Amino acid sequence: MATITCERITKRYGGVVAVDALDLTIRHGEFMVLLGPSGCGKTTTLNMIAGLEEISEGRLLFDDKDVTWQPPHKREVAMVFQSYALYPNKTVRENIAFPLQLRRTPREEITRAVTEVAEQLEIGHLLDRRPSQLSGGQRQRVALGRAIVRKPSVFLMDEPLSNLDATLRLSMRSLIKHLHHRLRATFVYVTHDQAEAMTLADRIAVMKGGLVQQLDTPEGIYARPANTFVAAFLGSPQINLVQGEIAPDGSFARGAFRLALPPGAAQPGRAVTLGLRPEDVGTLAPGLARLEARVDLVSPLGSETHLEVVAGDDVKLTLRVPKEWRAQEGQVIAVGVDPARLHLFDATTDARL
Amino acid sequence: MAGRPIAPRLGRALLLAVFSALFVLYVAGPVAWLVSSSLQTEAQITAVPPNWLPPELNFGNFDAILNAAERQVTYETRRQGDPATGGFLPSGAANLLPSLWNSLTVGLWVAALNLLLSITAAYAIAVIDFRGRRATLYTVLATRVVPDIALIVPLFLVIRNLGLINTLGALVVTYLAITVPFTIFILISYFEGIPRDLYRAARIDGCGHWRALRHVYLPLSLPALVASLTFAFLTSWNEFVFALVLTQNVAAQTLPIVISGFVMDFTTSFSFVNAAGVIAIIPPVVMAVLFQRYIVSGLTAGAVKG
Repeated sequence: MATITCERITKRYGGVVAVDALDLTIRHGEFMVLLGPSGCGKTTTLNMIAGLEEISEGRLLFDDKDVTWQPPHKREVAMVFQSYALYPNKTVRENIAFPLQLRRTPREEITRAVTEVAEQLEIGHLLDRRPSQLSGGQRQRVALGRAIVRKPSVFLMDEPLSNLDATLRLSMRSLIKHLHHRLRATFVYVTHDQAEAMTLADRIAVMKGGLVQQLDTPEGIYARPANTFVAAFLGSPQINLVQGEIAPDGSFARGAFRLALPPGAAQPGRAVTLGLRPEDVGTLAPGLARLEARVDLVSPLGSETHLEVVAGDDVKLTLRVPKEWRAQEGQVIAVGVDPARLHLFDATTDARL
Repeated sequence: MAGRPIAPRLGRALLLAVFSALFVLYVAGPVAWLVSSSLQTEAQITAVPPNWLPPELNFGNFDAILNAAERQVTYETRRQGDPATGGFLPSGAANLLPSLWNSLTVGLWVAALNLLLSITAAYAIAVIDFRGRRATLYTVLATRVVPDIALIVPLFLVIRNLGLINTLGALVVTYLAITVPFTIFILISYFEGIPRDLYRAARIDGCGHWRALRHVYLPLSLPALVASLTFAFLTSWNEFVFALVLTQNVAAQTLPIVISGFVMDFTTSFSFVNAAGVIAIIPPVVMAVLFQRYIVSGLTAGAVKG
């Protein structure tokens, strides 16, 4: 059992604030992803939870126990690193057994645990090799093995898949998800990859500049981004953000570009940023707002097609449309947009309206 | 390289060979002469033209060293050996074997203690993030800025007031003052070259600082550790000035002091001195051969990172 509570946790390096009064509760058994660009404080937060970085201010609780000043080896957490961090002088077997040896686990039990973990991760045939003789994917499996062999209640993962190629990343991703289902432990996972965050997380904390921008389920964050940063960080291709204002008739306006909004979305005359996800367009139908645009570039991906279009005078948009749509470059198309799926942000604060 | 003409390649090889030979001659020549002359009589080494190789193998010098203790040199017997024919023994000859033992004792103590002290200090400075870490490092380095010769008189006074003059302990302590700062510096560079994530992994896996040092840093630093061990032993083995000032007789004198004493006699037996020299270089050479592959990688590793 482990619920992790960060109470106004702050980390300063000299005058630089890396993490700023972070309040975060990670529930027992939850898969929490800390997502953000590099330098946003996500890894620092993870290291503070691990005990690898001192906490400048605030309190850290595991369940009800204050562990703020506890050294890492007393916290009963396991960690997987981007660099794998396997001990190069030890064999795979010794690497996995090491945490148990340090805890003076009886030898027979260590052998049993190592065999079991190796079987789970399908690395049984590698046990006598050294890390230098393994591929990246195999190394990361060993690193996972070293983490799960102790059966800790908290798993910390620092971009564990970043060094792997795309195919391996996918299979390791599902492996990690299965592990979480099986172990039912608390997972804290740091990544800058939104796809990893979306597929793995129970909840995502999107971070920037040492602050949590939004904390919600993947669906919630995607459907209702709290600000333009979060909106732009999740989704591929990126959300279209257009600066403009609310016209007197209540629609969004930028030059000749107009788009109907749900009634009463914002005060007329207010400066706003409009967010339109590329996939939130479809064929025109009653109840949908009409969006007319000239096709600039067609990028067929096989499963779908991306269109770069120009609407109004200078509004560049990316649209994701079904592969059956046969758009020509230069052609003017009209698509339907559900006003309810549009996002509006304040132009100055960037916060969701 | 297939299309390259042969002539320049040959020329390059030839140049390399010539300069390599010159270099080997420069470095190994004196050692070769030392070994060669130790196996000749005094008359043979002073002959003109010189005998580059011993005309016949003569172990008389070594025999004299090993049995020096039994051959009392007195006023009556001091002329029994004519320097020109060999068999001549300097008055301090009997001190040679005891001083060899002293040198070994001091060297091994220095090598061991040096490592023990430096490892913990280097780990703390390289790995643990504590207040005053930079200042500590610079203080350690600053101690090496003072030339040894400037320390001799104060050191002599300290050692004398402690009543340690003419003891092996005085030499061990003094040599540690020379080797420890330098070793700390080598080890810090090496420790900092070990990926930080390994340290983190070790801490998470359950290591405190002692175990992280033992299970992660030491096994991965073997080259630097062996280099430090060798460095400390050789520094102690070769040291002359401090030993000259801090020791007075056979109880604590080391090999360099005793051997240099042979040259200061009214007559110098070159063959005997050279035989002593051969004995003096055996331990370092054995050590170098044993640890050769570690020393090379250890010193480069330290050098590149430092």
